[in-house]
Amino acid sequence: MAGNEWTLEFPYRRSVGPIVGEFLTALRKGELKGARTASGRVIVPALEYDPETGEPVEELVAVADHGTVTSFAWIAEPKRHQPLDRPFAFAHIRLEGADTDLFHLVDAGSEEAMSIGMAVEASWRDERDGSITDIAAFVPTGDA
Amino acid sequence: MADDKPPQDKPTGAEEPDKPVRFMRQMVSLDYIAHQSPLARRYGAALAEKRVVGQRCPKCSLVYVPLRGFCPLCVVEMTENDEVDVSDHGTITTFTIITPIQYYGQQEREDYTLASILLDGADQTIGQQRLGSIDNSEVRPGIRVKAVWKDDLSGAESGTGGAIEHWEPSGEPDVDPAEFEEHVS
Ligand SMILES: [Zn+2]
Repeated sequence: MAGNEWTLEFPYRRSVGPIVGEFLTALRKGELKGARTASGRVIVPALEYDPETGEPVEELVAVADHGTVTSFAWIAEPKRHQPLDRPFAFAHIRLEGADTDLFHLVDAGSEEAMSIGMAVEASWRDERDGSITDIAAFVPTGDA
Repeated sequence: MADDKPPQDKPTGAEEPDKPVRFMRQMVSLDYIAHQSPLARRYGAALAEKRVVGQRCPKCSLVYVPLRGFCPLCVVEMTENDEVDVSDHGTITTFTIITPIQYYGQQEREDYTLASILLDGADQTIGQQRLGSIDNSEVRPGIRVKAVWKDDLSGAESGTGGAIEHWEPSGEPDVDPAEFEEHVS
């Protein structure tokens, strides 16, 4: 090999603010919440401001922990630090009750099992710490 | 206030399970391969044979270590034909004692010394060389040292750090700093 292998990495913490904080606190309880805007749209994951108007969101409301896949990218060879050590899909998921897509992963076993429009549901971790990875993955509905 | 800690020390949702989540942990990580120049490859190949190689300028005769391909004083190219072996014995010219801060990924625990060493036969020091078998407080310019080569030289292509365990005093008398002051770099 004509080179040296290096790793450059650093861990850090960042403050999340009251809105994202409430979203993460809900995850720790095994619940998904979205931010409802003045126009009534529900944004998941919760944002502090309505991206269409710049106005603060009104409140957080519960959304379902299941929905449909709106797009996906199959990861055939996961890299170190990626959420699964076996092939999976990064996907946009439109949760029931939400008006935007949540970016997460789908653990479906094979690329053939993936399709746009497929129904998926959250597979929650037993030990949760208030982070987006409290959902281990979304899985085809009925597989959880 | 409880909030006077820097963010990296503030509790996450896992560490305060009964309180609202205020901080999240993140990781930036990049694996990469640094491709070596042909000069660095030849330097590493020599180290794998326990040789330190330099280049002698065909015009001014200064010997550069490690290989650099040109003499910056004469502005002439140096090639494989200009390569010369230098000694694995040398003289400490300058040094730094490092107290390792225990940040993420730090592997050093104790204070240690890195030195610039003028190898016998070279006109340029090699820098960042780890010293061993000597107390940090004993290190001074002029000490004579010799390389302690690693048993496993498979990492030699990355440079002296992959080939040489450390440099230790050779027992020869100190060199008067006036003799190497022209070579301190
Ligand atoms: Zn020259």
